[in-house]
Amino acid sequence: MIPDYYEFCNSTKIVSGTRALEHIGYELAALGASRPLVLTNTQLLELKVATLVLDALADTEAEVVGVYQEIPVDSSASVVDDVARAYRESGADAIVAVGGGSVLDTAKGATIVLSHGGTLMEHRGAESLLGRRAVAFIAIPTTAGTGSEVTSAAVIKDTERHVKMGFTSLSLLPDVAILDPRLTVGLPARLTASTAMDALTHAVEAVSCVQANPLSDCYAKAAIGLIRDHLPAVLDDPQAPAGRLALANAALMAGAAFSNAMVGIVHAMGHAAGGVAGIPHGDAMAVLLPHGMAYNTDAVGDRYGELLLDLAGADVYASTPADERAAASIATVRAMLDMLHTTAGLSVTLGQLGVLPEQIPDIARAALDDGAMSMNPKQPSFEELVGILKGAL
Amino acid sequence: MAGGGWRTKRGRKAVAAVVFAVLGRGLVAAARLDERVRAEAGAWPEGTVITLGIGPFGPQVSWRAGGGMLEYLGGAEVEPTLAVTFKSVDGALPLLLGMKSVLGAFAEHRATVTGDLALAMSFVRCLHIVEGYLFPDLMTRRILPRPAERRAGHLIAYGALVHRRARLEGASS
Repeated sequence: MIPDYYEFCNSTKIVSGTRALEHIGYELAALGASRPLVLTNTQLLELKVATLVLDALADTEAEVVGVYQEIPVDSSASVVDDVARAYRESGADAIVAVGGGSVLDTAKGATIVLSHGGTLMEHRGAESLLGRRAVAFIAIPTTAGTGSEVTSAAVIKDTERHVKMGFTSLSLLPDVAILDPRLTVGLPARLTASTAMDALTHAVEAVSCVQANPLSDCYAKAAIGLIRDHLPAVLDDPQAPAGRLALANAALMAGAAFSNAMVGIVHAMGHAAGGVAGIPHGDAMAVLLPHGMAYNTDAVGDRYGELLLDLAGADVYASTPADERAAASIATVRAMLDMLHTTAGLSVTLGQLGVLPEQIPDIARAALDDGAMSMNPKQPSFEELVGILKGAL
Repeated sequence: MAGGGWRTKRGRKAVAAVVFAVLGRGLVAAARLDERVRAEAGAWPEGTVITLGIGPFGPQVSWRAGGGMLEYLGGAEVEPTLAVTFKSVDGALPLLLGMKSVLGAFAEHRATVTGDLALAMSFVRCLHIVEGYLFPDLMTRRILPRPAERRAGHLIAYGALVHRRARLEGASS
């Protein structure tokens, strides 16, 4: 069904495939830039992942004016402001962000400050940033999960209030996203599983949230199918470039989907759990996804039922009665989580992730205030959220 | 109303201005009558100014929280802490007339938020409660996330609209 009104934008150029990184010089030149500041973190440099990008840049006409590597696991407003300062002092004319969601979102935050001045905290809001971005921006993900390389959203931690702040603006969409399987073949199994479940959550929530539209549905369902087909194979053979590239594309497609359809209760609870209890985002998504789906079931109609085709394949879909498909979709997600627990050591409860019972009320309160909650098809009360979180404990 | 009624953009803005005036006083009244709004607004930082408006050149309404009070600022020019701004009067009117939900308007990209999104979520919860008082059940069933729960009758709520300031008893302590 076509919504009464919707918007869709995915302006990022996708460069995906074998040795795609080697085109970075061309892409910078196409953007009219020649002095990139590279953002990454120390671990990626030590693992020689970010080095692949630096090596590719060394063979171009561009001059790398600096490598900012002090980006923590959770990007923060103060780090964003410091990156903006480093950019100005370096004389850079582009940002090349190499990393997972934290690095890419830090880069997005820095482009806000560089384009609009002031500090990041002065630019909080949704769809309120107008005008063009003043910085050329290439995003190179080193995990297959956040999809941040094609989203108009950034999540950045307010370390004073211990909350994760959401920023949304089309000006956050990178100019170019480069997917090269060399960047993800070394990911450990647990991180591969956790980030894939993050991508799966993006796709499932994109389908069920109130901004879902025909275009975002296409991206979301394609992403789910890719994860279903390739995640088990990649865990069996982590070095297989084709599988890695498929998962990277799944994360990208899920990102494009949720960038336009938004995410809901699972992310609201996950952001809150991350802020209050410090648990990794992907791990929180994996645990909370089936619980969020169960809560939403009566509000989303047949949408979860439709997803059974993508989650479990044509045979299972065809052999499941229509009125049982939504429940079967949730059961498929639970089975996937159990499989990842066995094969990759993924946690299946919040308790296993270190969340304490006494933290549940604070997580519920923060989830109610999370912007993602506004896009969920059903608005929970505080008491309902506490119940869901206790069920996941 | 301006010539041409609400078929003209000017007429629709005039309708919006009237609704803003009612909504503006309604929120203040709800803060006095309903402990849920009192608790939400009481948690807003001292001096918080929230503006709901239509841009560009449209009407707006603002409130200031402080000293245990919620103050109705009408359409005065202010420096808001949080601004919820509709992109057009046509995007705002369905919401203002109770035909579309607040969250539905956000879902359709009808409005922008400038400021802290957590504060915006609290403000939206207050608007939901106020809508419960201002609109009949026939409409609130369609536009509110759950059935309206009123802590005072419609008539008391409408009567309270004439008060420009309401005490947020105990909310700031």
